[in-house]
Amino acid sequence: MAGASSRVHYLSDFCCPLGGRAAGKPFVLRHEAEVFLSTGREFVYVYDQEGGLLTAVYQFPDQVWHLQLLAIRRALYVLCARTGIYCLSLDSLDRSGSQACEDKEEAAPPYPVIHVDPDACVLPDAALCAFTVLDDMLVTLAQGPTQWKMQLFERPCAGEEPLPRGQIGEVELSTCTPPGGVPEKPAAPRFLPVLCCVFPPDSRAPHGHPQGCGCFTLEEALFGLLFGVDATLLQSPVILCGLPDGQLCCVVLKALVTSGLAPGDPKVLVKILHHLEEPVIFIGALRAEPHEEEAAGELLPGQHEHSDCLVALGHQGRTLAIKASWSESGNLVPELREYCLPGPVLCAACDRDGHVYHSTPSDLCVVDLTRRDSPWNPEKPDGAIGGLPSVLCPASLNICSALALCVTARAPTGSTELLALSSKGRLITCSLDLNSEAPVPAKMAMANAGQKIKELLLDIGDVSERVSFLKKAVDQRNKAITSLNEAMNVSCALLSHPEGDRPIACTITTSWSRLELRDMLMATCTLENSSSFSLDQGWTLCIQVLTSSSALDLDGTGSAFTYTIPVDRLGPGSRREVTLPLGPSESGVLDLPVTMSCWLFYSLREVVGAALAPSDPLEAPYLEQFPLSLPKQEGVCLPLCKRTVDMLQCLRFAGAATHPAQAPCMPGPACEPVETFLKTCQAPGSEPTGAASLRAKYLPPSTASIRVSAGLLRAALEDSHSGFHLCSATLRWLLAENAAVDVVRAQTLSSIQGIAPDGTDVNLTVHEVAVTDLSPAGPIQAVEIQVESSSLANMCRAHHAIIRRIQTMVTEQAALGSSPPDLRMQYLQQIHANHQELLREVQALRDQLCTEDELSSCSTAQKLLHIYKQLRNPSLVLL
Amino acid sequence: MSSQVIPALPKTFSSSLDLWREKNDQLVRQAKQLTRDSRPSLRRQQSAQDTLEGLRELLLTLQGLPAAVPALPLELTVLCNCIILRASLVQAFTEDLTQDLQRGLERVLEAQHHLEPKSQQGLKELWHSVLSASSLPPELLPALHCLASLQAVFWMSTDHLEDLTLLLQTLNGSQTQSSEDLLLLLKSWSPPAEESPAPLILQDAESLRDVLLTAFACRQGFQELITGSLPHAQSNLHEAASGLCPPSVLVQVYTALGACLRKMGNPQRALLYLTEALKVGTTCALPLLEASRVYRQLGDRAAELESLELLVEALSATHSSETFKSLIEVELLLPQPDPASPLHCGTQSQAKHLLASRCLQTGRAEDAAEHYLDLLAMLLGGSETRFSPPTSSLGPCIPELCLEAAAALIQAGRALDALTVCEELLNRTSSLLPKMSSLWENARKRAKELPCCPVWVSATHLLQGQAWSQLKAQKEALSEFSQCLELLFRTLPEDKEQGSDCEQKCRSDVALKQLRVAALISRGLEWVASGQDTKALSDFLLSVQICPGNRDGSFYLLQTLKRLDRKNEASAFWREAHSQLPLEDAAGSLPLYLETCLSWIHPPNREAFLEEFGTSVLESCVL
Repeated sequence: MAGASSRVHYLSDFCCPLGGRAAGKPFVLRHEAEVFLSTGREFVYVYDQEGGLLTAVYQFPDQVWHLQLLAIRRALYVLCARTGIYCLSLDSLDRSGSQACEDKEEAAPPYPVIHVDPDACVLPDAALCAFTVLDDMLVTLAQGPTQWKMQLFERPCAGEEPLPRGQIGEVELSTCTPPGGVPEKPAAPRFLPVLCCVFPPDSRAPHGHPQGCGCFTLEEALFGLLFGVDATLLQSPVILCGLPDGQLCCVVLKALVTSGLAPGDPKVLVKILHHLEEPVIFIGALRAEPHEEEAAGELLPGQHEHSDCLVALGHQGRTLAIKASWSESGNLVPELREYCLPGPVLCAACDRDGHVYHSTPSDLCVVDLTRRDSPWNPEKPDGAIGGLPSVLCPASLNICSALALCVTARAPTGSTELLALSSKGRLITCSLDLNSEAPVPAKMAMANAGQKIKELLLDIGDVSERVSFLKKAVDQRNKAITSLNEAMNVSCALLSHPEGDRPIACTITTSWSRLELRDMLMATCTLENSSSFSLDQGWTLCIQVLTSSSALDLDGTGSAFTYTIPVDRLGPGSRREVTLPLGPSESGVLDLPVTMSCWLFYSLREVVGAALAPSDPLEAPYLEQFPLSLPKQEGVCLPLCKRTVDMLQCLRFAGAATHPAQAPCMPGPACEPVETFLKTCQAPGSEPTGAASLRAKYLPPSTASIRVSAGLLRAALEDSHSGFHLCSATLRWLLAENAAVDVVRAQTLSSIQGIAPDGTDVNLTVHEVAVTDLSPAGPIQAVEIQVESSSLANMCRAHHAIIRRIQTMVTEQAALGSSPPDLRMQYLQQIHANHQELLREVQALRDQLCTEDELSSCSTAQKLLHIYKQLRNPSLVLL
Repeated sequence: MSSQVIPALPKTFSSSLDLWREKNDQLVRQAKQLTRDSRPSLRRQQSAQDTLEGLRELLLTLQGLPAAVPALPLELTVLCNCIILRASLVQAFTEDLTQDLQRGLERVLEAQHHLEPKSQQGLKELWHSVLSASSLPPELLPALHCLASLQAVFWMSTDHLEDLTLLLQTLNGSQTQSSEDLLLLLKSWSPPAEESPAPLILQDAESLRDVLLTAFACRQGFQELITGSLPHAQSNLHEAASGLCPPSVLVQVYTALGACLRKMGNPQRALLYLTEALKVGTTCALPLLEASRVYRQLGDRAAELESLELLVEALSATHSSETFKSLIEVELLLPQPDPASPLHCGTQSQAKHLLASRCLQTGRAEDAAEHYLDLLAMLLGGSETRFSPPTSSLGPCIPELCLEAAAALIQAGRALDALTVCEELLNRTSSLLPKMSSLWENARKRAKELPCCPVWVSATHLLQGQAWSQLKAQKEALSEFSQCLELLFRTLPEDKEQGSDCEQKCRSDVALKQLRVAALISRGLEWVASGQDTKALSDFLLSVQICPGNRDGSFYLLQTLKRLDRKNEASAFWREAHSQLPLEDAAGSLPLYLETCLSWIHPPNREAFLEEFGTSVLESCVL
């Protein structure tokens, strides 16, 4: 078989099916010299093989799923996805040129494109998935909400009024999974069911059906064995149905006639023959038993002997062959064999000589089901005669990715001709002479040398197409593996180091800058790669900005926003900066503190997914051979750093600003350019307007204070305060993370006036005090940090920021083991009790606030503010 | 960027609300127009689909907004329109209907801030919490009742009657708290009237309620008719007939009432209802079939057969085309009758078979033969595929049908035709049967494994023998009977898996025994006719041994013994068999062809002879 010579002819080029198999099912069939073909899109092409030209192109409203020709009635039936079945009369093809309308959008195709009139639809049904047409009947298979539904109609003719009048019978098959998508617009199913019609031998033969059109005649014994006595007696055609779930079932057509619209009883009508356990791609019949020579001689040329073997192919290559044979005792028994052919099978066909052709993305193979090794002996007295081969050996024909096949009549020379539609949209014929020996190259005559070279070139073209497919897939996988390896290294490097000296680190700094006439607080994240690996495709830097809730919004929870920045090649030693605006927002609000966390994310889907699902879906079948499933997790997440931006970092200092004239502008909700201009024109000292500034002017500023023992501060600031006064050192420590504080740093200040993001003042004053009545050992030297601001909110934010810093400091110092001095416990308890009392009062007032009306709530709020003020100025010292 | 729900509607919203309502009204008018449309159905179906899509889009728009009470009546109305149009397009209630309902109810709760997030409530609980909310705005009620009626329709079609009862109890409020009777609940449920400027709806709650009422009464009535609680069935069916009933349903209801009255022993009143059903005029098959049953009960054979003939004719007409409906109707809620139900009328060939077999059973052999020949011509003629075989899970298989036909032909004195039928049967199935040559060969070799052969093959030989015997061709008859017996005794079908259901049925032990008895007696009679009494005697003896107490076999045995003047043996046999004699043949469970065949060998003066023989034996004993 390997030596089978094939002569490949390239016939014509059609638009290749866009979107691959999802787009539909390509189909080729031939009647005499005419080839009817659909590429899986909306078009049906009629190609004249003798003339070598396209005669007509029909455009349907949706993808074409199936074609069937009823030659005797000169009608072509077309199943259009989500629409229904159309019937075109072949006789009208000739005069179609006159009514053809040119497609304006495409640049004048050489052939007329005929838009099919919706009235040509003879059976409108959006759920139809398959059909087969007989001389006077039409059998359809529709996908119901839960079950497949087989319906039998009188065969509608072209130009007939489309009415559901002719329904003769209906039966429901096994359950099916409903199609995905919106109920009204279901997604195209991945696999369509296969329908074909089997005729009993004595019935009027299925003439008018070209070969390979889903209609065939089985010999008596097999027919009766498969479908039972009733079907044999009735000589009824039987509909065979291969479902996407792998079921192979049959319905006796004559029994399908039901009364009215009531569906028949599936238990009586439907018989399940087999379960392939993978989508059925093809059902066919062939002659597996070589007939006696003399009998073959008697056959008239047009008369075919009946098939004696039923074949069904599954998507993954599982193949079923059923034959009838006689048991030793003389009983008729089915001989059933399952084979495994290389999958995934794109399409298949069989000829009557026992050959099954099946196409995979990488090759078109032929297998022989006849048992040629042991000649059939009709006189064999016992044992099974003419059994099926135990193993099938596929022989390659060196054609890849044929999407549709059609075996056409044998030429007088005894060879078979295959019509194939390749995935690139090429129609090719391949004439096979499977019986002949390999051609002898030496005897090549000059006359056919050109032809021979042409054939060789075509073969080479085919092979190179195949090689390029495979190479692309392998490259993609290699790339994915390299990337995964790199990602693994990066993950190890990051996870094995403690925070602080990681080879890949991210630092966050904040600064003010002017954007679109507004001052914005910008955060700059610097990702530095000091490792020896590079961050490549698939890595993303994610920055989450989490704002605290506004004090005005009582039950608000703040908001989180995540920025994802793809890291596109960050080699060893290089760094990348990302600057993000933090605020204030349009309304001038900046809810401090803001917490920023950074992490690196590696997307497995992006890297591995690309290799598993190549861009061209037609190539997907290559990879289906080695099913790799994506891990459940979408990727790998590596945390880098976390940083809190608080009020102290956002303060600006008028004296220290680089542009003294440029006072921080008052961000208002309406940022009209003119208004902004006028505002900026105002002298720095002029009266600010607005509620906030009014409040700043007439209300006493809010204050808060914190006392920290001098000893504690000295210990903590040991390394940095040398040479400075403790007060100024403290101030410098507090403002250490503020980028604008350089000017302050140069001087020794104990008090500073800063400007909050919303423009109000914030004063920080540090001075030394002595706390007398706390320790029996005498006064304790302490530093008092005072915060003062006209805006209560800003004062609170600054206070919070200071407390946070000191908290950190105290815990650090406590870890070092410094011991506090002697304390007067009674005094401490007194203070504690006072505070408890105050807190209780606060709770009571808050409760009161909820229930009171507006007038009294005002005074309650006043009281509350007062108590808060008391709480903010404790007489305690942090030691 | 926490989103805040705006409780009050901005001004622009109310004007868009008007716009959307306008859109809904326009789509509903469009859908109603479709029912009057006479265009080809593809176009019509497409415009129905387009209308549905329009409604769906509108629904999505409305559901995209935060749920608010002012917009909810419109939203719920659009939802109802969607569900109604979709159900009538598909002619079924699909699972996504529950999702739609669930979403609608959740929106109602959301608008009232009653919806606990993340709580996965079932439909039952949702309805409970929606309807039991104390502050249910009254403007929501009409739309909610409409939605509730759709829920009721869905639960009725899926047989969730308990949920349905609960829902109706909640809807009715405190008025009929205790009532469990769905019919009462449905009757007492009065959906609130819509206010005049309400958005248009395809089918309002009241009309849906009426549909539910009729459908429920029908369902109950049909079910009770089958289970046998006839008075209940009658009252329910009366209820259904008095409600809004489309003609096709009315025919079913009247027919069911007829069946009910027939079973209650009121055939005359049953006939009145059946006449009414025929007067409705949409389809007359069902009432005709029922009428034939009534006449059969009355013993009026002529009328019975006439109604069956009419039935065959009625079923030959193809059903008329349906008109498009954009509403939910009673038929949609009625289950398909199963083949055992009196409301199942079957196909034309089934009716024809019923007619033919009734003719045969009632002794009209000529008519039976004609009808059987018609039926076979329809089925086996091949040209038309429009006739389905009368096979159902209850009926005979095709070979048995052929045998019945042959029996009818023999009964009608057309033995040659019967032979043709039998030959055709064997011819057509020859490829499936074990090759006779290998059968005999194996039998000779006494191979362990014997080929099996379906019982109907043996029966065919039996009938062929009978036909030959009628033609006085003793040789052929004897050979057929012998072949039949050979098959019956040698090739017992052991492998149960191979045959279909019907074959297993005729393989039942009683039938097999009777078939053997029939074949033995037939051959015995043939021997008797050719004067070979001893051979006949052994056959008769065998038949009695196979089926002890068989009166026919006993009769022929005794008669032959008597004729051979072997009185001692006869009286000995009589005494031995006497105790077993009362055992009667298990008639009724036998295939019709076998019953007919047995009737041929049944001696007319059997009982008198047996009695006479008994007394003579007793006398001889006394002597």
